[in-house]
Amino acid sequence: MSRSITLGQYLPGNSYVHNLNPRLKILALLLLLVLLFSLKSFTGLITLLAMAMILLFMARIPFRYFLKGLRPILYIVLFALVIYIFFTKGGVVLLRIGSFTIESEGVTEGFFVITRLVTLIVFSLIVTLTTTPLSLTYGMSYFLKPLNKIGLPTDEVAMIMAIALRFIPTLMEESQRLMRAQVSRGADFETGSIFRRAKSLVPLIVPLFVSAFRRADDLALAMEARGYRLGEIRTRLHEDIICTRDWLALLFVAVLIAISFYFKL
Amino acid sequence: MSIRTEKLTHIYMPGTPFAAKALHDVTFELQKGQVALLIGPSGSGKSTLIQHLNGLLKPTSGQVYFDDQSIEGSKDRLLKLRRKIGLVFQLPEEQFFSETVYDEVAFAPRNLGLAEEKIRDSVYDALNLVGLVAEEIKDRHPFNLSSGQKRLVAIAAVLSLKPEVLILDEPTAGLDPAGRRNLFNLLAGFNQKEGMTIIIATHHFDEAVALANHVLVLKQGKLLLNGSRDEVFARREDLEKLGLALPSVTELMQDLAAEGLPVRTDLYTIKEAREEINKMKEKQQ
Amino acid sequence: MVKHSETIIEAKALDYKYQGDEFDVSPALTGINISVRRGEYLALIGPNGSGKTTLLKLFNALLVPSKGEVLVEGISTVDHDYVPHIRRSCGMIFQNPDNQLVATTVEEDIAFGLENLALPSAEIRQRVTEVAQKLHLDKLLLHPPHLLSGGEKQRVAIAGVLAMQPHCILMDEPTAMLDPAGRREVLDTVMKLNREEDLAIIHVTHFPGEAALADRVVVLNQGQIVKDGPSEDILTDLKMLHRYNLQGPAAVELASLLRLDGFNLPPQILSNRELVKSLCQYERKN
Repeated sequence: MSRSITLGQYLPGNSYVHNLNPRLKILALLLLLVLLFSLKSFTGLITLLAMAMILLFMARIPFRYFLKGLRPILYIVLFALVIYIFFTKGGVVLLRIGSFTIESEGVTEGFFVITRLVTLIVFSLIVTLTTTPLSLTYGMSYFLKPLNKIGLPTDEVAMIMAIALRFIPTLMEESQRLMRAQVSRGADFETGSIFRRAKSLVPLIVPLFVSAFRRADDLALAMEARGYRLGEIRTRLHEDIICTRDWLALLFVAVLIAISFYFKL
Repeated sequence: MSIRTEKLTHIYMPGTPFAAKALHDVTFELQKGQVALLIGPSGSGKSTLIQHLNGLLKPTSGQVYFDDQSIEGSKDRLLKLRRKIGLVFQLPEEQFFSETVYDEVAFAPRNLGLAEEKIRDSVYDALNLVGLVAEEIKDRHPFNLSSGQKRLVAIAAVLSLKPEVLILDEPTAGLDPAGRRNLFNLLAGFNQKEGMTIIIATHHFDEAVALANHVLVLKQGKLLLNGSRDEVFARREDLEKLGLALPSVTELMQDLAAEGLPVRTDLYTIKEAREEINKMKEKQQ
Repeated sequence: MVKHSETIIEAKALDYKYQGDEFDVSPALTGINISVRRGEYLALIGPNGSGKTTLLKLFNALLVPSKGEVLVEGISTVDHDYVPHIRRSCGMIFQNPDNQLVATTVEEDIAFGLENLALPSAEIRQRVTEVAQKLHLDKLLLHPPHLLSGGEKQRVAIAGVLAMQPHCILMDEPTAMLDPAGRREVLDTVMKLNREEDLAIIHVTHFPGEAALADRVVVLNQGQIVKDGPSEDILTDLKMLHRYNLQGPAAVELASLLRLDGFNLPPQILSNRELVKSLCQYERKN
């Protein structure tokens, strides 16, 4: 069983946020990101972060699960903070160690940047935590639709992406199983020169490919047996309608943008 | 000579909210030459347990011993122990990667760094052991064999290390009745002629039960029953509570006994059942 | 049974030959004549490589005959325009539960076939809910398939087929990769659908005990139908089964040996229960 936590993995639910149209979620996310990068003040940033937290609450995402998802990014955030604190100059000198100085602007700038970064991640996580990967793909394929005109089969691309998402956990499990099987036959994937190590991967990669091809074959057959045909018109279980709650959400984002511009936040 | 676990516990992803106990205080011992069935529903920890037995997984706590040596420590030590404890995974032919049967079977001995001559001997021995004619099959492409042959080659690829213990996970999956019969005959031979200790983890034990003399029952990571075959299968109600059925023949004999017929119930093969029912008839006449 | 007179699938003088496609290793079939009626439960048995899976694929228009024809509800499978219709009325369940689930949640997987039919969303939703209730999957609708048990995965696959409102379900060793509990789960579901929905079932299996659930058993060997009849006749014909390297259910095997030993047992014993009953009667008589 695959128990690895993936960053931003979908959490089933039935909240207002979950039920928003994926297209709208993507659009709102983009708008909010633009807003995020145009904000100049802490007030604005903190307000936005607070909004994000409210959304998180509305989506009923357990806070601990959310923090867990945030953990891998913690290091990037800390790294960014350190860089800014040490290398941005200006304002009052707060601390002097030899030729190194920490100056007030660096600290302000550092905290500003990481708040922005965290807010950005929180918003993105809210989208991925409340939207199934499949809806997300279909939502994105909507925005790629114009590319249909230049011959990109966007529906098929969306289907390919969706299937890839479905099979990632399966293939991860499989590669782990294969690795153990070959180790029990004395394979060694860890020691030796780079060349030796690359060569030692053959017993892993060949069966993995063979099995991936067989799965692909089986799956193609199963899809065909269930009436999937390339280029045919399909409908969706989750109807792609923009309804009142979606308009409300969009309106809210628009108001936020208007306010921030009006007050030059 | 034995394989033994002591309070073996395994926790997946310890310290996270996803932590799950896959094995809980599993203690048992098998003597050399025993054949054990390891049964239990999917997800009961069978695969996790057998992967501990040859050191692929490290216990979170507890110990595994082979010949009173703990299975842990340096990679070289593990490698030596693994030689003696062969593990045949489920659908083992899915691990094939070589272009000839010879290379496939030679993979394990080559990893030991043996001389090519010795490797050749082990490959031939292993192929002969599973009833294949080495000269005929060694140059064929392993992907182009029949499903029964593939399974045999995959088992030979583990036997090439000349293990003292052979562990098989669901060895008959995907084989037809003829293939299954052949495989169990081979396993019986390994046990009787080579004195090999065998552990078979399986859901379909109707046929495997004839070879076994010991049964381990796992559920949700706990070893709930551990005893001789006759002891374990006499506890029909306990097994049914665990969602496990009796071997077909045993069930039949127990049903007959329950109807008041004077028959033994610790029987597992059709042949044994036939003899017993005939004895009953003779007694009554 | 008068009710079951309607023919769903018919194969006439069907040949299938390996058609030069390098990756197509389907065993060949020759001279297949068979018809399957509505509501019938048919088990297809035979050694590995005898062509069982090939035959199922021909019934579902995944393969087309080299010679002869397959009619599904009277329509030939070579008729390209009707292929969607054929696949809707004859759904297929495969052996490996992992390789037939397409979507990332159970409900979207059940909906997949309906989406291909381009049904309106509201109808898809209604049918998904209905089928999920029938197969007791309603609590799992939002789960990702890789966290389900094997039995649950197979039931999801069955639900996906059932949502298309088929008249026949083709199953290729659907329980081979399941544990006993999962096996029972799937078999109970299938039996229930066969009885209550009047669905025809064609069930490829290696387990003689599973074949005994069927009304009718067909034996394939080297691409030919070598036997076709009521299950109690076929599964008790051990001489024939052994000839094709097959086995009968344990009770049948034992009963036939006991008959050799002079036990006077009725000819049509299929299950342990029947054997126990007959042996008890035999004992009481003596």
